[in-house]
Amino acid sequence: MAEKITAYRFDQLDQTLSQLNKENCAIIAGGTDVMVMYKSRRGVPPKIPKPIVFIDHLSELKRVYQKHKDLYIGACSTYSELLENPLIPGPLKKAIKTIAAPAIRNRGTLGGNVCNASPAGDTLPLLYVYNAKLLLRSVNGERIVAISDFIQGVRRIQRERNEIVAEIILPSVMEEGAHVVFEKVGNRNADAIAKVGFAGYIRLNGAVIEDARFAFGAVGPTMVRSVDIEKGLFGKTIPLADTDIAQVVGAFDKIIKPIDDQRSTAIYRKTVALNLLRYFLSMNQYQHNQ
Amino acid sequence: MPRKDHKGKVSGQLPYISDVKVENMVYGVLYRSTIAYGRIKSIQLPDLPEGYEAVGAEEIPGPNYVKIIKEDQPIFANEWVNYIGEPILMLVGADLNILYDLLEKVKIDIEEHQAIYTLEEAIKQKSAPGVTMASYEFGEILDTITSIELKAHQIIEEEYDTGYQEHVYLEPQGMLAIYKDDEIVVQGSMQCLYYIKNALINALACGDDDVRVVQSPTGGGFGGKEEFPSMMACHVAVAAKAVKKSVMLVFDRSEDMVVTTKRHPAKLRYRTALDRKGNILSMSVDLFLDAGANEGLSSVVLQRALLNSAGVYKIPHFHAKGYVLKTHTVPNGAFRGFGAPQSFAGIESHMCHLSNTANIDPLEYKRKYLVKQGDPTITKGNFRDPILMEEMIKDLLNTSNYKKKKTEFQQDNQQNQRYKKGIGTSLFLHGCGFTGSGERDHIKAKVKLVKSKDDQVSLKISNSDMGQGIFTTLSKIVAKELDLPYEEILFPYPDTKEVPDSGPTVASRTTMIVGKLLERAAKKLKSQWQTGVEQEVVENYVHREMIPWNEKTFTGDAYPAYSWGVNIVEVEVDTLTGNVKLEKVYANYDVGKVIDDRVMKGQIDGGLAQGLAYGYLEKMTSKEGKIQQKSISDYGPPTSLDVVSIESKIFDNPYADGPYGAKGAGELTLIGGAPAVQAAIEDALQTPFQQIPVTPEVIIDSLWMKEGEEG
Amino acid sequence: MITFTLNGRKVETDAPPTARLLDVIRDDYELIGTKEGCGEGECGACSVFVNNLLQNSCLIPIGSIEGAEIITIEGIMESEQFKILDESYSHAGGVQCGYCIPGMVMASAALLSQNPHPSEAEIREGISGNLCRCTGYNMIVDAVSLAAKKGDGLWQKK
Repeated sequence: MAEKITAYRFDQLDQTLSQLNKENCAIIAGGTDVMVMYKSRRGVPPKIPKPIVFIDHLSELKRVYQKHKDLYIGACSTYSELLENPLIPGPLKKAIKTIAAPAIRNRGTLGGNVCNASPAGDTLPLLYVYNAKLLLRSVNGERIVAISDFIQGVRRIQRERNEIVAEIILPSVMEEGAHVVFEKVGNRNADAIAKVGFAGYIRLNGAVIEDARFAFGAVGPTMVRSVDIEKGLFGKTIPLADTDIAQVVGAFDKIIKPIDDQRSTAIYRKTVALNLLRYFLSMNQYQHNQ
Repeated sequence: MPRKDHKGKVSGQLPYISDVKVENMVYGVLYRSTIAYGRIKSIQLPDLPEGYEAVGAEEIPGPNYVKIIKEDQPIFANEWVNYIGEPILMLVGADLNILYDLLEKVKIDIEEHQAIYTLEEAIKQKSAPGVTMASYEFGEILDTITSIELKAHQIIEEEYDTGYQEHVYLEPQGMLAIYKDDEIVVQGSMQCLYYIKNALINALACGDDDVRVVQSPTGGGFGGKEEFPSMMACHVAVAAKAVKKSVMLVFDRSEDMVVTTKRHPAKLRYRTALDRKGNILSMSVDLFLDAGANEGLSSVVLQRALLNSAGVYKIPHFHAKGYVLKTHTVPNGAFRGFGAPQSFAGIESHMCHLSNTANIDPLEYKRKYLVKQGDPTITKGNFRDPILMEEMIKDLLNTSNYKKKKTEFQQDNQQNQRYKKGIGTSLFLHGCGFTGSGERDHIKAKVKLVKSKDDQVSLKISNSDMGQGIFTTLSKIVAKELDLPYEEILFPYPDTKEVPDSGPTVASRTTMIVGKLLERAAKKLKSQWQTGVEQEVVENYVHREMIPWNEKTFTGDAYPAYSWGVNIVEVEVDTLTGNVKLEKVYANYDVGKVIDDRVMKGQIDGGLAQGLAYGYLEKMTSKEGKIQQKSISDYGPPTSLDVVSIESKIFDNPYADGPYGAKGAGELTLIGGAPAVQAAIEDALQTPFQQIPVTPEVIIDSLWMKEGEEG
Repeated sequence: MITFTLNGRKVETDAPPTARLLDVIRDDYELIGTKEGCGEGECGACSVFVNNLLQNSCLIPIGSIEGAEIITIEGIMESEQFKILDESYSHAGGVQCGYCIPGMVMASAALLSQNPHPSEAEIREGISGNLCRCTGYNMIVDAVSLAAKKGDGLWQKK
């Protein structure tokens, strides 16, 4: 009675792309989310409604390299591989270490985390403050899109059927001078899904703020970030005045609109998101920690 | 000396029920109500392919209820449904894929009625018919309390709430009925073989020899496999009888989380009269338990909750009243501690808050009221055995450096704006064995030792090793008495065809009661020992002389013996996120006498991990009759990164009627965790809480309120 | 047909590509040491090695492991490393109900083969995806620590 299920696992990216061009498929880049999302019950395979393409074995999607000041991360690099890689910035490693537990990190991939587009995706707040871009490939060539444009809603991404996210680009990340923090708030210390995620990025010239970026996870359908609010801080000096801090916190207060669910409450999420922001803004010094 | 079951477990080759396949076996899947309260109007089945059948109420040979205490739990609901998830029928067949597809095509029309979803609603409607399922009241006369209150300096009223707790035994529930021409053998994950056997005899309307119950290796129980498996056993046995095949029913984790019994959510109301110095003049407690949709064991859980409602204290003029209330939610049931954890969380919290009013260190305040040997219990029984609590407290204060830390933390907290440290204590006891005269009147335990011709001795008892280690401890007792090497003692998984009813594996009774019977049986066997001859000895339960228990007046000795404990917990609270980090955990216990150090440490660490998590980590909620946390991570039991090492010590205090002096140990270790962790969080934040779990959400909410008050 | 190596033996399965590795090894090859506790990668009872890396077999579609080397608890049972772990778990009292244990042993072996001398914190991290409800973990942490000492030299990084 079980219908025939088609799955592809090509040796080359090219073959994979040409298959994707022919057929609408579900892409599995590790599968730690897909297998849960389509989970059936005990003892039977998950019910995935489309043909499947496995891509996690493709070495073309596993390269990590630096080009100028930019860092390129192959989308199918597993979390564990990234933890071992000296090019990966410390804060990103910290975020990755909060993901599930070792066995999942040996299988799950960064590209998978992006394309799953969960509001609680653990690496997303950081990727947002890094202004991450995604390199998409198809038989027609490549295109680059900002992560904030790519992720459009809960599990909604701007990927064409025939495309694959090949690389995650962190622009200028190898440049010195930024102080970056990441905080994940979960119900326990492993195997937890974020109730709130926060990433803060600040770059100083002496005591003057040159750049500031903030992203919040699990408090809305996608990461919450506001370039307008951030800009208000450019040119201010450290330590920030209480009124400046209150202004930024107040501005985010207006745009953070979380929900109640089985893991937490809207009020908790909002309060904690703003607490973490306020704390980050109240620091007396920021040190480069990339 | 390895545990008896070590080899098979470490290699994974010991078959749990889901690892078993038998000839002619089919699977069962349950169709469950999607409505919380309603009347079934019609059942429409899809066309079933050959080899697939539906089994429901009509196929039950006997009466349609799971025999526990009341006859209020249908095997398959056929008229009314009382909770979301209640089984209505079972589909059986060879292929799970096909079964799940068929299940989606079953159409059941249910006329929905107004359900009671929460304990709050049930309390408001407690006088309505059918809502109060059981109720008990005892203690000081209310008029006396009223006149004391009139003269009191102050009356403190507090309401305290405790949440669900889910067992999360690692092995989900599973049961197999093996069909044979002349008998049905039910095999599975279970704590109480004879509960199941009695339920089967009732459901199948059959004779004693027509059913047999065999325990499979059981991957954790914690009370979750006490009464719940009886229902699953009825399902598979009825189905096996109907389709004349062996039927296997194994739950998916999410199914297990949503439909199996949990710890009763409770509400406790305290009303305490104090004098000018903060001394207690009188105390009244009202206790409400959310039973869920049927009574199950709830009345007995309420009894234990009430019996522990004054904690380890001698409170002047104490009065308590309790109710078991019905809601249209998943039935609640046995869970390690059985009503006591709710009561201890409540009373320890209340005493701590009273100490704040009196402006005395909580531990000092509590010590003033500690019961001593010879004191009466709140039910006019007697604490007749020595009580080592003072000694245990003093020792733990030293080990933990309590006083120094308390001061240091307060200073540190002034400096550190984000992270606050706190230290808290809990004092607790556990009544060992069944409440009152249950052992004598209901259980009437019987144990058997069998010696074969080649002089191999086997234990024949109906108790389950579900991980707590009785294969090891009980074998040790018998080996010691017989002067035989422990390795030579046999303790096979129990099978009702072979073993007498030595009672269920519950209530911290196994080592103390069954162990004592085995000790006596082994002594008897030794005195009659004839080499090379088959021999059998049987021992029956003998009741300890005590003040007779009267369930109606709620007076007398509620338990033959008590085990005791003291916990001290240190935490660090992140005031930005409300997250609580355990820093140190200290524990002293009196369990009479330890039979096996490793087994005991396993009980301490595991019980404490569960008890601590009950206080701050594990959170389960129900919304309009639906359990919201369907996965392990959403519920959040502790991982290895959430627990810290535990410094524990055991104080010898042998009990005359336990083997070598052993009393109960399994439940005790859980009880102190939640109140100690709550007290530590309160110490860190200098804020009282009136509920467990004290989750980050609760903490952030209270910090926000506090900030508001302080402007 | 999907071909892979299972405990050192080349095997072939005609299971659908979405079939969970967990079900294939349990049902088709009757290797019962790999247990199902949650089916969502949250408990670790189904831990196996895929190309020497610890993974949850409930999250692995069989179609993705073409050519891979799968090792279950049965595949390490005869090894020296397993004997050390076996003794250490026994000695430290790390086993209670036993349902998490094969997965826990796999996680322990994975940890020690990467880090032969782990600290307590590293052990806790290494087994953090393996839920145990009986022990409160401490005696398991002791067991791994003991195995590191007893098996000194055996856990060389591959």
